[in-house]
Amino acid sequence: MRFSLIDRIVELEPGVRVSAIKALALSEGYLEDHFPKFPVMPGVLMLEALVQAASWLILKSEDFSHSVVTLREARNVKFAEFVRPGEVLAITVEVMKHDATTTMLKAQGVVNGKVAVSARLLLERCNLADRLPNREVWDATTRAKIRKRFELIYQPSRPNLG
Amino acid sequence: MRWFWIDRYSEFVVGQRGVAVKVCAFGQPPLDENPNSLGALPGPLIIEGIAQTCGLVVASSSQFRERVVLAKITKAVFHDFAWPGDTLVYTTDVVDMQDEGAICRGVSHCGGKLQAEVDLMLAFLGKRLEQPLFEHSQFCRWLRTLGVFDCGRHPDGSPLQVPDYLLAAEYAEAGIGTTQEPRA
Amino acid sequence: MAPTKDEVFAKVQTALVEALGVDDDDVVPAATMVGDLGAESIDFLDIVFRLEKSFGIEIPRSELFPEDILTNADYVKDGRVTPGGLEVLKKRMSFADLSKFEANPMVQDFGNLLTVSDLCRYIESKLGTLS
Repeated sequence: MRFSLIDRIVELEPGVRVSAIKALALSEGYLEDHFPKFPVMPGVLMLEALVQAASWLILKSEDFSHSVVTLREARNVKFAEFVRPGEVLAITVEVMKHDATTTMLKAQGVVNGKVAVSARLLLERCNLADRLPNREVWDATTRAKIRKRFELIYQPSRPNLG
Repeated sequence: MRWFWIDRYSEFVVGQRGVAVKVCAFGQPPLDENPNSLGALPGPLIIEGIAQTCGLVVASSSQFRERVVLAKITKAVFHDFAWPGDTLVYTTDVVDMQDEGAICRGVSHCGGKLQAEVDLMLAFLGKRLEQPLFEHSQFCRWLRTLGVFDCGRHPDGSPLQVPDYLLAAEYAEAGIGTTQEPRA
Repeated sequence: MAPTKDEVFAKVQTALVEALGVDDDDVVPAATMVGDLGAESIDFLDIVFRLEKSFGIEIPRSELFPEDILTNADYVKDGRVTPGGLEVLKKRMSFADLSKFEANPMVQDFGNLLTVSDLCRYIESKLGTLS
């Protein structure tokens, strides 16, 4: 799962907040192009990491009853610091508002004690069968895989590297 | 995963406007993570496509010498998923440009329907960081592949030429000399 | 007809809410741009552009951000603005309340000086309606 940017969920309070980390390795392929002479995590992947952490919070809070959590809106996303290979982005996301289908959250990522990225996010959750025909099996199997993946990355008792 | 999020320009006006396509292909990361993911192109990568579309247009104002990075996404709104087989058309306009950076507005259409809207700000690294980002020859090859010098033009309509310093770097990297005099 | 003080404030408030993602309630006259509203240097490009469009004026950067004064060796000694420098600063930024800054004129503190009220008064001075 190369596009899974969350290495570890450190803390999660359903409906409230999540803390997670993304460690940047020099071997990540996109760094060859971003940039060839100055490898740094692309801003949009810092945003994607925030979105994925937020998604885990929503999925767990809803007890994995959805197969899809997607970004509907991002606002005021600011990039203040570079994240370089060997550094760890410590992510925290907090719920601001939560309704039947969407959640508004504020998120930030910190590197070396400084805020590297901050954003306001609106995420929507659903099962694909709500949108497209014949997706019930896809939904059921995807929900099971999501739950398994969560068990792999949720490690609240490991020492926190962030 | 490479970091190229647009495939080709159909319109490129120096410092003003860029229109490019992104073809969503099943075998390409991250759409190749089947069967473990949704299989739609993630929103942030659509933002990056729009940023690349207008970022190169902004950089062309300084003959691609200015190093341009994404500094802020004021607003990004997604209306629909982008699935394998979809072609996204990114239309971007430079709204304002100053010494520190530029404000740009972009939209993504799929099959003629509005798929996403992104307002963003690009910053010029300038003296903040002296570090070069690309090898000139590599960067120029990317611009050529995207069709920047095929459809690129200045606001007065004159064609956008490859800047001399990039041309010289391309020849040097290929290990061949040129008998042409550099353009004035 | 020139906008009233309230109209100027409303437009400034809209520009700050859109550029900074803060709530209407956060944008009060005494709020500092940097400390209270979280504005960073990239935001100022956005804010300046929105204000220029909203009021149909041009905002030269040096009028709001007097970097040329703050980096001038004649006006700054050991990180503090000299009395001569303060005079020049006050003339350039006659719309701003610099009294707090004058008490301890450290260059590094200047960035956090600007308040919403200062910004409104600056706009009014550009429109010629500053009382």
